Amino acid sequence: MIARERPAELVFRALLRVYPAGFRADYEREMTQIFRDRRREEHGGGSGFWIEVLWDVARSAAAMHADAARAPRNVNNQPRKGTMRRMAILAVLVGLIEVLNASLEGRAGRMNGGDAYSFIGVALGVCAAILLIVAGVALFRRGWSAAGWARVAAIGCAALVVSIRVVQPWMSIFATLLGIGFPIALLLFLYLTKRDGSSMRTTA
Amino acid sequence: MSPATFQVLMALVDDERHGYSIMREATERSDGSVRLGPGTLYGTLKRLLESGLVEEGGERVDPAMGDERRRYYRITDLGMAVARAEARRLDRVVRAARRRKLIGPEPA
Repeated sequence: MIARERPAELVFRALLRVYPAGFRADYEREMTQIFRDRRREEHGGGSGFWIEVLWDVARSAAAMHADAARAPRNVNNQPRKGTMRRMAILAVLVGLIEVLNASLEGRAGRMNGGDAYSFIGVALGVCAAILLIVAGVALFRRGWSAAGWARVAAIGCAALVVSIRVVQPWMSIFATLLGIGFPIALLLFLYLTKRDGSSMRTTA
Repeated sequence: MSPATFQVLMALVDDERHGYSIMREATERSDGSVRLGPGTLYGTLKRLLESGLVEEGGERVDPAMGDERRRYYRITDLGMAVARAEARRLDRVVRAARRRKLIGPEPA
C-alpha cells in the first residue's frame, strides 16, 4: 500500500505547486494529509477521484491567485516605512547643509560690508533649515503620522527661502535650488505616498 | 456567503475539528451534495482565519485517524454570530420558496 500511495502523493504535491507560495507554505502539509486520508477512504481512488482532485486544484488555485492579485501590496504600509525613513534622513541632511550654507553666505556677506539684510538672510536661512530638520526628525520617529507637520514645515521652508532670495539677491543658485527644490520634492513625496495609501485603503 | 464557507462554519459549531473532519462533516450534513476538496477547504479556512470567524485550536493527534498530528480549528464568537445570521437568511429564503410553492411544505 505504501509503495502504491507514494507516486500518487508525489503527483498531488506536484499539483500543489500551482498554488501561491505563501499558501503552500502554510497548508501543504495538511492538504497532503487530507489527500492521503481521502485516498485511504476511497480505497486508492480511481479516475473519478482524480478528476475531482484536478477540478478542486484548478478552481481553488485560480481563486487564490485572483485574491493575491486583488490584495494591496502594502497592507500595513510596512515596506513604505523604509522609504519614509530615507526621505526623513535626506530632509535632516539638507537642513544641515542649509545651516552651513546660511552661515557661509552670512559670513561672505559680512566680509563684503554686511548689513542688516545679511543678518536677516542668515536668520531666515537658519529658520528654514531648522524647519526642515525638525520635519525630517518627526518623519523618522513617527512616520506617516507626522506627514501633516512635515507638509507645513516644507511649505514654510520654501516660503522662507523665497524671502531670503528677496532680501539677498546675491544668494547662490545652489542654495536657492536646494532651499526651494527639496521642500517641493518632499511635498510631492508625501502627496504620492498618501495617494497610494488612500487607494490601498479603498481596495481593502 | 458561499455554500462552502457556510458548511465549514456549520461543521465547527459543535466542536473544534481538523481539516479532514470538517470535510467529512460537510459531506454528511449535505447528504453528499457538498464535497470540499483540499484546495477549497483550506482556501476557505484561510479566508475565515483572516476574517476572524475561525481560529486555530492547536495541533494534536486524532486517535481515530492514526498517529499523525493534525491542526485543529474552532469557530469564534464572531463566526457564530455570522453563521446564525446566514442560517436565518437561508431560513427566510426557504420560507419564501415554500409560500410560492417552489418546494413542498415543511415536513411535520
